[in-house]
Amino acid sequence: MSPPFRLALVGAGLITQQSHLPAALASPMVEVSAIVDPVTERAVELARGYGIRPRIAARVEDVVMEIDGAIIATPNHTHRAIALACLERRIPTLIEKPLARSYSEGIDIVRTADANDTVVAVGYCLRFQDNVIHFKTLLDQGFFGEIKRFVHEFGTAGGWAPLSAYNLDRKNAGGGVLVVTGSHFLDRMLYFWGYPDHASLEDDGPNGPEANCTARFEYSSKGASFVGLARYSKTVRLPGGMVVETDRGFAVLTEDDNAEIVFRPHSNPAIEQIVRRRFQRMTNNGPSVFQLQLEDFIRAVRDRRRPVVDGRQALESLRLIDQLYANRRLVAMNYYQREKALARP
Amino acid sequence: MARGDNVLPYIHTSGSAWRLARLGIPLRTLNVLDSAQTEAALDGVTHVVNCARGGEEVMLRGLKNVLAAALKRKVARFIHMSSVAVYGDPPPPKSAHEDAPTKPAIGSYGWIKLKQDHMVMRACRNGLSSVILCPPNISGPYSDYLVNLLNAMRLRAFVLLDDGSAPCNLVDVDNLSAAIELALDHGPADGTRIFVTDDEAICWRSVVDYLEALGQLTEPVPQIGRERLSSMTADIGAQPTSLIRSLKHLASNEVRQALRKDPLFARFDTTLRKGIARVGKRAEQFFRMTIDGPTRVSKVTGEGLFDLNLCRQQLRGVRHLSDRARDQLGYRPVHSFVESMDAFCTWYRHHHAMDSAFWPLLAQLY
Repeated sequence: MSPPFRLALVGAGLITQQSHLPAALASPMVEVSAIVDPVTERAVELARGYGIRPRIAARVEDVVMEIDGAIIATPNHTHRAIALACLERRIPTLIEKPLARSYSEGIDIVRTADANDTVVAVGYCLRFQDNVIHFKTLLDQGFFGEIKRFVHEFGTAGGWAPLSAYNLDRKNAGGGVLVVTGSHFLDRMLYFWGYPDHASLEDDGPNGPEANCTARFEYSSKGASFVGLARYSKTVRLPGGMVVETDRGFAVLTEDDNAEIVFRPHSNPAIEQIVRRRFQRMTNNGPSVFQLQLEDFIRAVRDRRRPVVDGRQALESLRLIDQLYANRRLVAMNYYQREKALARP
Repeated sequence: MARGDNVLPYIHTSGSAWRLARLGIPLRTLNVLDSAQTEAALDGVTHVVNCARGGEEVMLRGLKNVLAAALKRKVARFIHMSSVAVYGDPPPPKSAHEDAPTKPAIGSYGWIKLKQDHMVMRACRNGLSSVILCPPNISGPYSDYLVNLLNAMRLRAFVLLDDGSAPCNLVDVDNLSAAIELALDHGPADGTRIFVTDDEAICWRSVVDYLEALGQLTEPVPQIGRERLSSMTADIGAQPTSLIRSLKHLASNEVRQALRKDPLFARFDTTLRKGIARVGKRAEQFFRMTIDGPTRVSKVTGEGLFDLNLCRQQLRGVRHLSDRARDQLGYRPVHSFVESMDAFCTWYRHHHAMDSAFWPLLAQLY
């Protein structure tokens, strides 16, 4: 049996507290060797909260000699600098999504990883969800029929609140709700169908990070011809999920971790069919997607192979995000029929 | 901001601040439970609009800190957002006007808001120029209240009282903003409570008609009589505290089940149960009845599960008037009820892409 993988968690914020650290502690492959955060008190508090005694440091450079790899779960604008600090020292890194704020920053990370022959994985954890993997298989098989259109949407009235509040600064986050929420689907869309032939965006962020956006996509080459819509909101709850319309019906996969794939045939709108793997075990007790992602990263390092989501794939996501923001149009936010001046005496 | 004021928006966390952030307004985080931080936040501030909401501690200790800081920093004007809930649920008929007696149930939201009002009034007596604005449920674009009502109607969790003619108090978000803006410079300084409503005689039927059409609901909202709705909602509200009830709860099967996860308590509980069993079946039965009470079976009517908190709002039966706001603030509603509901529907349709060619696909997710 291999010795435990000595892991550093860089960033002691919310995503580390709630997801990465519990996943690392749950994995038999991992030893949490260090927690790194410029606010070392936060790192100490986090370690104490889980009853562990890793090395605490303010900079990742201070722990590189003691680790086999690092998870970078810091604000987006810090990904590039921290990733380069790791990769230049040949420390494999799993970077929380998105890879960086922009395509150009992402290229720096991927090139540095290549130059140092070091693994870089990116935290699009939903790629490890079994229903997503199964949906991809069924799409590839043409199980649902010929694709005509697709939609994906997800909306919450607020929600995720990073401790540093970097998400409300467009410059630091690299965008708004498209980056924070939508990038998960963009990654899945690229996984399902590759890069679209056309992409455009409507959003409501005139000066800050957009809170609502609608992206449109067209696939017209590679023998396919279909269009899609992706909608994200941080101001209103939208039922989350994906719907693919084919010549035969609607294939639906909602955003729940254990959601079933449902097919509603055009031929009989009164019924729906659940599409499940034969002998599939329905359980909630298995490893979390964060644990599966971490263990895939460790295996990629040990077996010298590519992780499920590597830097190059994540770079394509950034290219698409950059393209969407380059093709963006602001939507009007006045919903009243008539503009009225506020009453003043 | 439109009138050239230098606005400092303070937020607790970034999670709910997206609507402000998209405009590029620099947001600052503030924990109102931290008195030093709160005092520093009000340094140089002349006017405060307190819209903070949270748990009881935030609402009470947080407000105490904000008021203390406002007094210390000699804030010129303090606008406190209260609620018509301070009059109780249902409110007394006299609460058409603000001077009606306030009788919220102990521990309810209205009870906490009333405590806040009293704190603001005390601060006024210590020299803080303040006015308390009392809105009902807020309508217009982004209205959580209307979204929740529509969702309840979709789930058939909302029933209409009689023919829907009971008054429904709403205030459009723009109307409320206009009142706040006016209150910054006008009106009483002694912590007077002022209703801010759309000031129209609106009934529930009108609201429901809008939402039925918006939600493309094929079945009409079911109706219910006053007596039946009253009996269904009679048990809602904060229960009075009782030492005996608390002790019974501590000894109940539900609590003991949780405690039995601890091996020491599990042994203690097993020994106790064996002891009681030895005394005899009748004694065992007596203890069980005393602690857990008889087995309760709820009536199954096939009517579905109603959102009783929402439904019972129709029993309020009083229309709060904005006369004082008109007289003392110069308030005039910017938008009528019809304009407000139209705006809500436009917003809702836009945000849910209901007019998009993709709606047939999106509708699969509802």
